[in-house]
Amino acid sequence: MPTFLHAPLLWGLLLASVPVLIHLINMMRHRRVRWAAMEFLLVSRKKNRTWVLLKELLLLAARMSIVAIIVLMVAQPLLRDQLGAVLGGSKTHHIVLLDDSFSMSDRSNGATVMDRAKEAVDRIGAMVAAGGDSRTFTLLRFSEAGRGGRRTQPDLLQEQVDSEFRARLRETLKTIQASETAAGPVAPLEAIGQLLGEGEDETRVVYLISDFRKKQWDRPEDIRSRLAELRAKGVSLHLINCVDARRPNLAVTQLELTSGTVAAGIALFMEVEVRNYGGEPARNVSVVLEEDGHARPAVRIDEVPAGESVRERFEVTFAAGGAHRVAARLDGDVVTADNYRYAVVDVPLEVPALIVDGSVDQQGAFFLSAALAPGGNVRTGLRPRVETPRFLDDNPLDAFPVIYLTDVEHLDQRAVKGLENFVAGGGGLAIFLGPRCRAGFLNEGLWRGGEGLLPLPIGGESALFIDRLDNAPDLDVVDHPIFRVLGGQNNSFLSQIKVGRYFAAPKDWKADAESTVRVIARLRDGAPLVVERAFGKGRVVAWLSTAAPIWNNAGSSPAFVVLVQEMQAYLARRVEAAAPLLVGSPIELSFDPAQYQNQVRFVSPGRDGAETTAHDAVLKEDNMLHARLTRTDAAGVHEAQLLTATGMVDARRFAVNVDPAEGDLARLDGSQLAARLDGVEYAYHQADTFEARRDASIGRNLSDVLLYLLIVLLVGEMLLAWSCSYHPPETRVAAPFGRGAAA
Amino acid sequence: MSDAQRFLDPEAIRRIARLELRASHVVEGFLSGMHRSPYFGQSIEFLQHREYTRGDDLRDVDWKVWARQDRFYVKQYEEDTNLRAALLVDASASMSYGSGPLGKFDYAATLAASLAYLILRQQDAVGCMTFDAKARATVPQRTRRNHLDAIVRALDGSRPEEKTNLEEILRHAAEAYPKRGLIILVSDLLVDREGLFKGLRLLRSRGHDVIVLHVMDDDELDFPFSGPTRFEGLEIDHRLSCNPRALRQGYLEALGAFLEEIRRGCASNRVDYVLLRTSRPLDAALAAFLSKRMEVRKK
Repeated sequence: MPTFLHAPLLWGLLLASVPVLIHLINMMRHRRVRWAAMEFLLVSRKKNRTWVLLKELLLLAARMSIVAIIVLMVAQPLLRDQLGAVLGGSKTHHIVLLDDSFSMSDRSNGATVMDRAKEAVDRIGAMVAAGGDSRTFTLLRFSEAGRGGRRTQPDLLQEQVDSEFRARLRETLKTIQASETAAGPVAPLEAIGQLLGEGEDETRVVYLISDFRKKQWDRPEDIRSRLAELRAKGVSLHLINCVDARRPNLAVTQLELTSGTVAAGIALFMEVEVRNYGGEPARNVSVVLEEDGHARPAVRIDEVPAGESVRERFEVTFAAGGAHRVAARLDGDVVTADNYRYAVVDVPLEVPALIVDGSVDQQGAFFLSAALAPGGNVRTGLRPRVETPRFLDDNPLDAFPVIYLTDVEHLDQRAVKGLENFVAGGGGLAIFLGPRCRAGFLNEGLWRGGEGLLPLPIGGESALFIDRLDNAPDLDVVDHPIFRVLGGQNNSFLSQIKVGRYFAAPKDWKADAESTVRVIARLRDGAPLVVERAFGKGRVVAWLSTAAPIWNNAGSSPAFVVLVQEMQAYLARRVEAAAPLLVGSPIELSFDPAQYQNQVRFVSPGRDGAETTAHDAVLKEDNMLHARLTRTDAAGVHEAQLLTATGMVDARRFAVNVDPAEGDLARLDGSQLAARLDGVEYAYHQADTFEARRDASIGRNLSDVLLYLLIVLLVGEMLLAWSCSYHPPETRVAAPFGRGAAA
Repeated sequence: MSDAQRFLDPEAIRRIARLELRASHVVEGFLSGMHRSPYFGQSIEFLQHREYTRGDDLRDVDWKVWARQDRFYVKQYEEDTNLRAALLVDASASMSYGSGPLGKFDYAATLAASLAYLILRQQDAVGCMTFDAKARATVPQRTRRNHLDAIVRALDGSRPEEKTNLEEILRHAAEAYPKRGLIILVSDLLVDREGLFKGLRLLRSRGHDVIVLHVMDDDELDFPFSGPTRFEGLEIDHRLSCNPRALRQGYLEALGAFLEEIRRGCASNRVDYVLLRTSRPLDAALAAFLSKRMEVRKK
């Protein structure tokens, strides 16, 4: 049986009795005519009585039907698609997937896209509530779809639609706001499949309410396949777009340390990046900075071209050690969430650097130590520690970001293994050669056919002959972070470095293009001098000459200090920087059970202030305690508070940011969406016009059919009335018997 | 509309209250429309010229002939044949219906008075009978000019009331006007047709020439009613509530059959038949009479 969107209006069917009443009233209002030619009238009546009565009854029925159909059209009858639904034997389940990514906070005319989306949900609720019994309703936000081990948490799950349903839905909608996530539609589409099962005994209608930003649909294969799966199961799909136009938006897309050794009291450089997602250039953009909650001078950007990013560098100095919070903020625009960017800078008081020198006089260590920590007024934050190769045998290396080997003749296999583990774990290794080094050990112990730490095989010692006719510098460097600060044609420091001897690579050696091995500096004769490679998460830089000014004069050059500092900073960075934490992703940490208790408190920023949750860490197979904050709902700095064995609190901070790409407000229109969902049958609606066409959303609206029926009935009524001669002619009836005199 | 027709228009006639004035108005109007003065003699039909002899009325001298031939000729008219006409006017209840300026009975009475006036002006004798179920007033045939007053009184004194019984009436007329003459029946003929035709046959068998002037109202011929209507029979005790437009076609078919039956019945009895609408001028009836008058004279 059909159901009605506005069932109370069915009382209007009583109006169908109006034609009967009019007929009865007309019966009482007969005109009275005293008539002479009665016999002809009686003959006519006798002849036509049955047919006239039939036509009049049909006319009355047609008029009653017309009134009834108009009432039914206003009441919006709906016929569910499935035959079972038609027969009234099955349920209809309405599933609303609501995009609550932060691009939904796009504001215009005092209302956000999210507000429009909630209105659309409310309208769907009204429609469903008007549809009668046997209906259930599920509301799932994108950000609540289970991913990464999280449970799916719908706001309403298979809620029975009863008289209180709309009130409950409205209360739920009041609590819903755009999140700070960049959640897309794939997860919720997956989640409803898992959450609701096959559902063979019910008709399902899925409403995907979103802003349909281009970014989320650039690779639509996943979405298309999931929608096609749903469609194959007979699910009706309705895609409701809540955005009417694209608006310009600026976003802080990056806030990071750029270079240098991080230590207390050391001046550091950070960079902030602002991207303009609009179609017009943004001028005089001011980025407000905060350092540990204290305002810093703002960074001003003259112009951010349309569709481009601009990076600005600024200097920070953290006087004390610890995890420091840096925040960047833009002035308000249509989307607020991406106007903020947070960074946590872990600042140690000092950074230890291990120098392992194999020579007796340890000249290399001396010059390296001098370059790492020159002393005097110059503070680098580095604390060099000089050890012999034996140190590598049985000491943990994790405390050192970077280890320097200089003129090491031989290392035990254990030491080599320890070093490899250290670099593979993310450490940096600088290898300086020297007179004590032997090609045999270097090749067999450190290169190992390309599997070891050394980036290249060593052929043997070689001398660089002095060419007095050629004034070319001995060093020819590529564009590389280590040499970049000394680059440029006017910079003479590099040209002052002279190399006399070095370890040469075999003549036929060339860096494999597919490997990470890269020659970053060559000698005048083309022989590699400085070669790097990535090893696991860390890097190795091999300097094929001495650190001390024995085979070259670099150690005594002012450029050497700069080169070593840059090398330290370069090697201290991991090959693959840890992925930035985005809102919605979990925070995981592991710690030593010997030092910490298993209780962790997470303090997270929230809309209404900080929120604290307590977690018990779990001891896993690696003998480490693991704790996990499964969800991060807000951008900002989250803090994990660990309790040490002695009861002290050790706080670790994590910067969680919004996905800046979500700030790209470019949207898809209906045709673009259709191109991406080719082959999937769905109905596309604009949220503003969704109400007018809501009929299609829960089944087949019979209004169209009724309209056609009404037209047919109106035409039939006209014909019948004309046939019954109820429509008087415009002019007097033409005389059938001439008005002239004689017949 | 010509001047003559204007005089004959029912709307104009309605404004004249007295029947005798109506009659003179109609007839003079009708005759003036035919030619200037055809009735200057004692008869209405010119026959031949005859040479003047002493004693002839100087008014009969044709001065135009004298002017051309210098001889006196007098005009000779056809001899007065003493035409005896009888007007039978239906005053039954059905004649009371009327939708236009003149009801059927008013129209019939005006027509009868006009014919009487015309006949009397021709020095013919005319009588009159009004009837419904039976004869209500009978005026004998006379030729006197003032006889019109008696006829008008008979017409004025009649009010349509009862049913018609034409067979009886025509039989009665045959007896009331035994000498052969012209019988003019003015009626709506809403009667038993068999009785009507019997009566007409009777009149014809007595040697009467008969003219039937069938008076019908526009409403009866066109049936223009619309909207819920309750019809109450004037002569038939029957009430019918209906949508008249639904029955119109059937009504018109029945009416057409009726008119055809009347027409055929009259033709078969060699009775002149003229259907008259109450909304139309009376000239058709007068012309029909004059045509018949000429036939009678020729006989």
